[in-house]
Amino acid sequence: MSDLRKIIIDGKELEVPGAMTLIQACEEAGVEVPRFCYHERLSIAGNCRMCLVEVVGGPPKPAASCAMQVRDLRPGPEGQPPVVKTNSPMVKKAREGVMEFLLINHPLDCPICDQGGECDLQDQAMAYGVDFSRYREPKRAAEDLDLGPLVETHMTRCISCTRCVRFTTEVAGITQMGQTGRGEDSEITSYLGETLNSNMQGNVIDLCPVGALVSKPYAFTARPWELTKTESIDVMDALGSNIRVDTKGREVMRILPRNHDGVNEEWISDKTRFVWDGLRRQRLDTPYIRENGKLRKASWGEALTAAAAAMKGKKVAGLVGDLASVEATYSLKALIEGLGGTVECRTDNAKLPGGNRGAYVGNATIEDIDTAKNILLIGTNPRDEAPVLNARIRKAWTKGATVARLGQPADLTYDVVELGSDRDALAALAAMDHSDKHGIPGVMIIGQGAINEADGAAVLAAAINTALKAQSKVLILHSAASRVGAMDVGAVTQGGMKAAMDGAEVVYNLGADEVEIGDGAFVIYQGSHGDRGAHRADIILPGAAYTEENGLFVNTEGRPQLAMRAGFAPGEAKENWAILRALSAETGTVLPWDSLAQLRQALVADRPHLAAIDEVPENEVKPLKDGKLGKATFRPAVRDFYLTNPIARASALMAELSAGAKARTAPKVAAE
Amino acid sequence: MGLLKTIKRVFTWWDGQTINTQFFTWRKGVKVGSDAEGNVYYRDRSDKKRWVIFNGEVEGSRVSPDWHGWLHRTWDKAPTEAPLTHKSWEKPHQENLTGTALAYAPTGSIRRTNAPADRSDYEAWSPE
Repeated sequence: MSDLRKIIIDGKELEVPGAMTLIQACEEAGVEVPRFCYHERLSIAGNCRMCLVEVVGGPPKPAASCAMQVRDLRPGPEGQPPVVKTNSPMVKKAREGVMEFLLINHPLDCPICDQGGECDLQDQAMAYGVDFSRYREPKRAAEDLDLGPLVETHMTRCISCTRCVRFTTEVAGITQMGQTGRGEDSEITSYLGETLNSNMQGNVIDLCPVGALVSKPYAFTARPWELTKTESIDVMDALGSNIRVDTKGREVMRILPRNHDGVNEEWISDKTRFVWDGLRRQRLDTPYIRENGKLRKASWGEALTAAAAAMKGKKVAGLVGDLASVEATYSLKALIEGLGGTVECRTDNAKLPGGNRGAYVGNATIEDIDTAKNILLIGTNPRDEAPVLNARIRKAWTKGATVARLGQPADLTYDVVELGSDRDALAALAAMDHSDKHGIPGVMIIGQGAINEADGAAVLAAAINTALKAQSKVLILHSAASRVGAMDVGAVTQGGMKAAMDGAEVVYNLGADEVEIGDGAFVIYQGSHGDRGAHRADIILPGAAYTEENGLFVNTEGRPQLAMRAGFAPGEAKENWAILRALSAETGTVLPWDSLAQLRQALVADRPHLAAIDEVPENEVKPLKDGKLGKATFRPAVRDFYLTNPIARASALMAELSAGAKARTAPKVAAE
Repeated sequence: MGLLKTIKRVFTWWDGQTINTQFFTWRKGVKVGSDAEGNVYYRDRSDKKRWVIFNGEVEGSRVSPDWHGWLHRTWDKAPTEAPLTHKSWEKPHQENLTGTALAYAPTGSIRRTNAPADRSDYEAWSPE
């Protein structure tokens, strides 16, 4: 950053790095330049010409500020800094001209367009549009594309900014979108009419500055100004993407990403974005009690009394599901341990060592991936387990990082050096001398698929010891949003799942639907959706889903983030911590809090690092005791990306996407 | 005929014929025919005037198209003399129900009292 240049923008002198573009320098100066094609996280195209500015002393024509660097400008005759004007009559006239050209072929769809109210073209036409049209010829027509069940296209509205093409090729790493033709005939199309094969394709909806690419599930359901926006945290994967939940009344109408450079930049996966139809279906809205083998509706009083009676004096095991907030987990732990039972959050049998934060979180942040030169994936398919993280790894790869993998080959949208797929390859890697990697930033990403089998502890030890040898950082990639938080509050049983379930007479299941609970145990299920857990339950206590209660979630790098309530739970359902508090009064072991604030105070007093919201505590990774590795190959933790949790399984759209993904990989029949 | 009914007949016109109309019809009217609803159609002797005495509420749309055409001199002959040909797919005539309890209400309208739409914004799970 030694190449600092002085520049005068609208009479304001400032010093910026020479590599900055004029549009960025203008932003530094506090001047907003209108733009369509320019986007901070994509490559520069410079084809919309909306960001024209006047460069004094340069060629007598306006310059596209997104495509010109500060160091390209000539200083004045006596070495004065170059002068840029963004509000001169020439600039205004130039932008008006560009706007008029853009509007020539843009239909007057605003009243029936879903982008209305949040459309860049609409907004900028207010500033630079002229109020009449000189154009008398027929407008350009373009055929709509079929991009799959998520993105709806209205190609006549397209202004050919190519943001979608750049996003899909650069960030999502797919090659289906492109631009064909020249001049007026240029068109955004998909290759051979293919649909998009990416689980991040929804982001093109946000990127599209006009209404050419809009959300299919959200089509014609709401206008942006009538939605209540709540900033929250996603729980579909362990990344903890920052999201904005838009609600109308009680209903979630859509979910959008929020910018967070440290976590999700400004992308979210399709599961995060489109899962909201699952929030409306299969909801548990009233307590149930099983009588004579059949579940019947019950009142809260009845259900809580029955649950308390069942738990008293029995051996109780608590299971923490994948979507539980830290508060709910902490309440469950306090309740169950007060009754002499134990709690377990590693429901997928992952051999994460309780209490050793360096080993169950690692010491790498997600941002470390950006600067890493060597990335090693062990037993993980990040494209399925955390698509946004995969885009981040892809970004590091485009900047020259080497990505290696121990695990089953799968297309991750970038080149991967295969090191083998079984335990032997890991043992060979662990036996190697890694001193050549010292001083080179490296990140080892360990997936749950590597450590959720019998020899998981040995695999984790071998991986972490190798990372220490190579002086590489470690990131444990979790597959459940609740996991790190639950590990942080110590919701673990010595001996893991097997020990927790062994001889348990009563199982308190806090939304763990992926677990098979054997016959014999009395099951109390608390959760939001009627999934596998509810069918097995003897008592059902309906709880709130993640958009319906405030909660703390710790993401896979150990960053605590606050999720906010966007709406209320349906019917009789209550917030999860409140159910546990009410139940504790029935069992006679009253939890010492009456409000969420008191619960959080107790939680923070117990686990001080959870008080630092949005900060990643530093962990120390210590060598682990080597164990005996098994013989098997590494299996991915996520088998079906679209159906990993009860909310996604309740969603009709996710089922369709899952079927679509399966059909894509199935062998083609001759007629195709 | 009670006193109230008589007073109503004197001061109102919307439930059957007024006294003046009844007198005029008795003096000049030649009965032409009546329709299924019981409305009676008259003309005077020179056929300069044609009119209808409603059986009940005075509501123009209760006149069926057959008689409407005769009343408004679209055709000369009354449907009793020259009946209109009706196609099999024609529905029976119905008066205009706007403003009445039987008026059409779209699904979701709060005027739909007979079958209230399920207004729940979520689908509840049920065992089985």
